[in-house]
Amino acid sequence: MDLSTMIPELFSALPLTLVITFTAMSVGFCLALIATTLRVRRVPVISQFVDLYVSYARSVPVVLQLFVAFYGLPLLVILFGFQDFITATMAAMVGLSLYHGGYLSEVMRPAYLAVERGQHDAADSLGYSFRQKMFRIVGPQAIHIGLPGYGNSIIYLIHNVALVMYIGAADVMATAHLIMERDYNQFQFETYLVLAVIYSLMCLIAWLIIRFFELRFAVHLSKEATSIPLKTAAFASV
Amino acid sequence: MLELKDIKLSYGSAQILNGVNLSVKRGDVVSIIGPSGTGKTTLLKCINYLARPASGTIAFDQIRMDYQRADKAAVQAIRLRTAMVFQQFNVFKNMTVIQNVMDPLVVVQRKSREEAHAIALQELERVGLSDKREHYPSQLSGGQLQRTGIARALAVRPDVILFDEPTSSLDPELVGEVLKVIKDVTSSGITSLLVTHEMQFAKNISNRIVFMDRGVVAADGSPTEIFDTPSSPRLAQFLSSELAFQ
Repeated sequence: MDLSTMIPELFSALPLTLVITFTAMSVGFCLALIATTLRVRRVPVISQFVDLYVSYARSVPVVLQLFVAFYGLPLLVILFGFQDFITATMAAMVGLSLYHGGYLSEVMRPAYLAVERGQHDAADSLGYSFRQKMFRIVGPQAIHIGLPGYGNSIIYLIHNVALVMYIGAADVMATAHLIMERDYNQFQFETYLVLAVIYSLMCLIAWLIIRFFELRFAVHLSKEATSIPLKTAAFASV
Repeated sequence: MLELKDIKLSYGSAQILNGVNLSVKRGDVVSIIGPSGTGKTTLLKCINYLARPASGTIAFDQIRMDYQRADKAAVQAIRLRTAMVFQQFNVFKNMTVIQNVMDPLVVVQRKSREEAHAIALQELERVGLSDKREHYPSQLSGGQLQRTGIARALAVRPDVILFDEPTSSLDPELVGEVLKVIKDVTSSGITSLLVTHEMQFAKNISNRIVFMDRGVVAADGSPTEIFDTPSSPRLAQFLSSELAFQ
């Protein structure tokens, strides 16, 4: 075995890693949005449950959360009278979505609360509805405040996807281990190195995308921002 | 046109408004003065329900509301006919000056962009900010921000304009430009309520002065009555300390 066969083999597992990442990203985002809304508006009882969920997602190690999902979901499914159809990949998606949602809600909530009270007052005094206020004034400002934290949470998510091999999902990390075992642990360093490059690239791309949006939403904050082309600014800061 | 009756409001155990009565006639320019912490700003915010009184009633032309049974429709109707200028400006930070003035017209009043744009230009001209219309708030001085706030308030063509200490957070050298604009606005005949610590200015522009003390209206009269023949020792003491300070 050499690099020319090992690399394609690793890349063949990349789609699964990406699917898990994007699922957790989108489901987690929705969960975070709901959790943030409920935590900001303080609905009795429900908000306390959401607090509990967020504290679980943020304080339990991600590996442990994956095991809980892997062993807990089948029990739940059977409880509702279905056959156990939960695969490792599904458990990974659910576990990581829950983790990412809880983590992200602690990015969104402070961002929302950091928008000055006066911005709400001005919009309210002019007769904006809650929706109009959120979409036109408070939302855009909260996004600007929350984007750096969002970027971090995405990078943590990408890292944590590597843990799904512990519950037996066949992502790039698990595939690397399979390759090494099959080849009598000959090219361990090389394999891990390729893996490191793959993860670096994924994070770099995610980071560049978020940086692009950060600059877009920062246009109103400085005189310079409007005159520097976004591309130059994004690469200058890499 | 505007009548507040027996407004009571407390934050926790602190009673801020202790049964305030205030009535304003169309075209009045009423300045509300008084020591800090007596509820002047809070009273102003009760009108557009940014502050929520525990009890009391408001009558705004045909709109009537009991604060104990506040209803959304009445609150919205009042908000659509009033506009507020804030102590902290509260200009929308994610919008340029002209967007700040246009946005309520387009979003709330459902005017066309062209019409909103024309109104915004006109109001920015009035406050002397035409050349800054494409600037973002972070690029403006306090005086310019407050004039943006005033243009935004004027653009919605309110029946009553509420000025909440509009110059209190400005650098001294910027106060003049804002007072000049406020004077221009109030002399145009629009009904105005002004909470202020600028005594001389209040005396010059108002046809009525309301003195608030410890959560109630302690004196109410024409500028000459209030400033030249203060009716109570509290008022006289307050005026002498304020005027000595200026």
